[in-house]
Amino acid sequence: MPSSDPPTIAEPAPAESLAATQAKPQGKNGGAKPVIAQDAPATGDSKLSNAELKKQAKAEKAARRQQALAEKQSGAPQIIVAAAPGTQQKGEAQKGGKGQHKRGASTSMDARSLPVRGAPAVPAIPAAPKKEDKTVEFFRHLYKQRTTSIAGASKEVHPAVLALGLQMSNYTICGSCARLVATLQAFKRVIESYSTPRGYSLTRHLTSHVLSPQIEYLSSCRPMSISMGNAIRWLKLEVSKVDISTPDSEAKKDLCDAIDRFIQERVTFADQVIAKSAADKIRDGDVIMTFAKSSIVQRSLVEAHQAGKKFRVIVVDSRPLHEGKHLAAALATLGLDVKYCLINGLSHNIQDVTKVMLGAHAMMSNGRLFSRVGTALVAMEANEADKPVLVLCETIKFTERVALDSIVHNEIAPADELVIPGGPLEKWGDVKKLQLCNPMFDVTPAEYIQMIVTESGNVPPTSVPVLHRLGNESQ
Amino acid sequence: MASLGNIPQNEKSKSFDIVETYNRLLHEDPEITMPVAAIEALIELLVQSSADTVYEFLDLVKTQSDYLKSRIPNSISLSAGTDLFQRYMISSMKPTSTGDFETVRQHLLSNGRLFVSRAKAARERIAAYGRHFVRDGSVVLTHGGSRVVGTLLGKAAEASKTGGNVRFKVIYVMNEARSAESKAVVSLLRAKGVPVATISEGAVGYAMGKVNLVIVGAEGVVENGGIISRLGTYQIALLAKAAGKPFYVAAESHKFVRLYPLGQYDLGIDQQVIEFETEDKKELTDDERKFADRTPTEEYFGSVDLPKPNAAVDAVDFTPPALVSALITETGVLTPSAVSEELISMWY
Repeated sequence: MPSSDPPTIAEPAPAESLAATQAKPQGKNGGAKPVIAQDAPATGDSKLSNAELKKQAKAEKAARRQQALAEKQSGAPQIIVAAAPGTQQKGEAQKGGKGQHKRGASTSMDARSLPVRGAPAVPAIPAAPKKEDKTVEFFRHLYKQRTTSIAGASKEVHPAVLALGLQMSNYTICGSCARLVATLQAFKRVIESYSTPRGYSLTRHLTSHVLSPQIEYLSSCRPMSISMGNAIRWLKLEVSKVDISTPDSEAKKDLCDAIDRFIQERVTFADQVIAKSAADKIRDGDVIMTFAKSSIVQRSLVEAHQAGKKFRVIVVDSRPLHEGKHLAAALATLGLDVKYCLINGLSHNIQDVTKVMLGAHAMMSNGRLFSRVGTALVAMEANEADKPVLVLCETIKFTERVALDSIVHNEIAPADELVIPGGPLEKWGDVKKLQLCNPMFDVTPAEYIQMIVTESGNVPPTSVPVLHRLGNESQ
Repeated sequence: MASLGNIPQNEKSKSFDIVETYNRLLHEDPEITMPVAAIEALIELLVQSSADTVYEFLDLVKTQSDYLKSRIPNSISLSAGTDLFQRYMISSMKPTSTGDFETVRQHLLSNGRLFVSRAKAARERIAAYGRHFVRDGSVVLTHGGSRVVGTLLGKAAEASKTGGNVRFKVIYVMNEARSAESKAVVSLLRAKGVPVATISEGAVGYAMGKVNLVIVGAEGVVENGGIISRLGTYQIALLAKAAGKPFYVAAESHKFVRLYPLGQYDLGIDQQVIEFETEDKKELTDDERKFADRTPTEEYFGSVDLPKPNAAVDAVDFTPPALVSALITETGVLTPSAVSEELISMWY
């Protein structure tokens, strides 16, 4: 019986084989019969004999299997709607479906996709070649589609938040603290424009129905930073503490004031204290190395310079964001002695350095530093060369999470950001077995860090959980 | 208010010299440590001052502390005491900030004296915790004139008299600059029946193989759990780490100082240990030699003009926390990272 063999999986060109197998029965049968779903559904056709029906069913089964395979590998299961068939075909479809289940090993037929009957798409073969999975295996759990336009956003998202989301996803607003402050300001606007609907109370309605969609939208534009997580937790707590009897306008004003105070205390004032402590640590004749651009490191260096200290700065930078360029330019404009190099110049420049100052995205409870990718390299080199590493970090960035590696928790930026237009990787998508990996953060072990400068004082990395408990969870 | 009969209210505050008081206290009591002497001096200031308000007094304490630190060459240790006293004052004044200053002052005085007596008892408690580290047949390496370590080893030696349990030996690293002090310590130990070997500082690496544990004292314990102690401690710690021997520090908790050095040269004091010269040094005068040779009990002579601050005799060095196995304090045995938590709980 000339029937199509079960197709082998991972066949790069299933199309050809399918056509071949289908051509065979056609040829063998003398070609007279309308075979397979290539033709229009056989509603108007003459009745086929049982044997031929069987043949047809088998061929269709194969076609369906192929399509399911193609779907599975492209990673986008399509819902196939059964065409409106005659009872005959329906019966065969069910038979086909059952048969398919028996052969379950070769394909995994989703419950969703119903057996297709005469759908034209199937046999003509998936027009698009099977798409290769371009995600890196280790980080597959972190890949997430970023929202890059406001089209399609839920109607509950406030315009200020829409704008903020866009700014975050294209790095206009970049940096843990900048995003934190911008988010809180946007939430202030949301609260100001909020009015409790009848029958609801502010404390119960605001968080779940108003703040949550905003948070979801922002997360879809770019994953939340850890400091933002802490701030939102605080905000939700504040909202829940609002007395049910206070009139709306007063409650809203109180919340906005609380947000202002929070920013003032945890960011503005903290930055002042940290900049001063760090500037105090800088001596005349020092050579300070820093990586990428941290707003607090910049501030400390500027403050030390304004206090009249004589020192040099080496800014280490890396692709793709090249944030260090902005820092170097800003410092040079103010008259500091700045040297700029890329990360491949790290080992050469570390020899002259006296101190390394790094910024942080977050500090984990096991004393590890979670910061821009490349920071761990700088800290490691500094350790090898016996140079002290200082981390400047506000307590709002402390988290109770523990990081053992840079893989479990990270952010993967779109791989296309790594591609230089006109460069050798331009058509990287077409190159087989090539994946581009663009992680945004890495984790530096605690033993490479000598001191953390916070607004609560200078502490060793082992004291992070203590300060986190006192500062972020004491409420 | 309650009678203030015990406290002499005199007008001598202007003529109160804190440096002189501090030196006198150190001189009078051989058992006292520098931070405790500083605290006692400040308590006397409290007694004799004519400040009427809380803030006036706080201000006075601060200025007097700074003055004292500037006048004493090795100020790290006593700054632990002054900072602790200021901290204690602020915390005890808070609840009664609107109350009568005199009651506050009384309260401070009585608690201050309690603190001083507790501090003296601390040494005994450290010895009680620490002596179990000295096992039968072990060899202990130590150096410097720390009285805490002396008490600890003495207590460990005493157990052998009663039950004959702990028999241990001591290798003591002699300090050429302070030979009289070194000899005194060695004699004290030998008098208790402990066999002591004296070696020079150059032989520490050689001797480390025969050592089971190292115990030293400290002048200050810094925020990350590192210690500031007599010059020479750092290299002993390095050698102990390289040889895999545990390095213990015995220090009272009032020595915890709010300092966070990043290295040897970041201590905030000017130590003239490394001086490049192209001419040979002149000979020491008699007075200078006597000063260089002093024992702990005759720490400071009020009459002699102090030579340059922190000459080699007075010099200290910084031992980073990675080299310290444990700190034996009167509140228990702590790891270096626990020091920061203690400080946070005290100061936050």
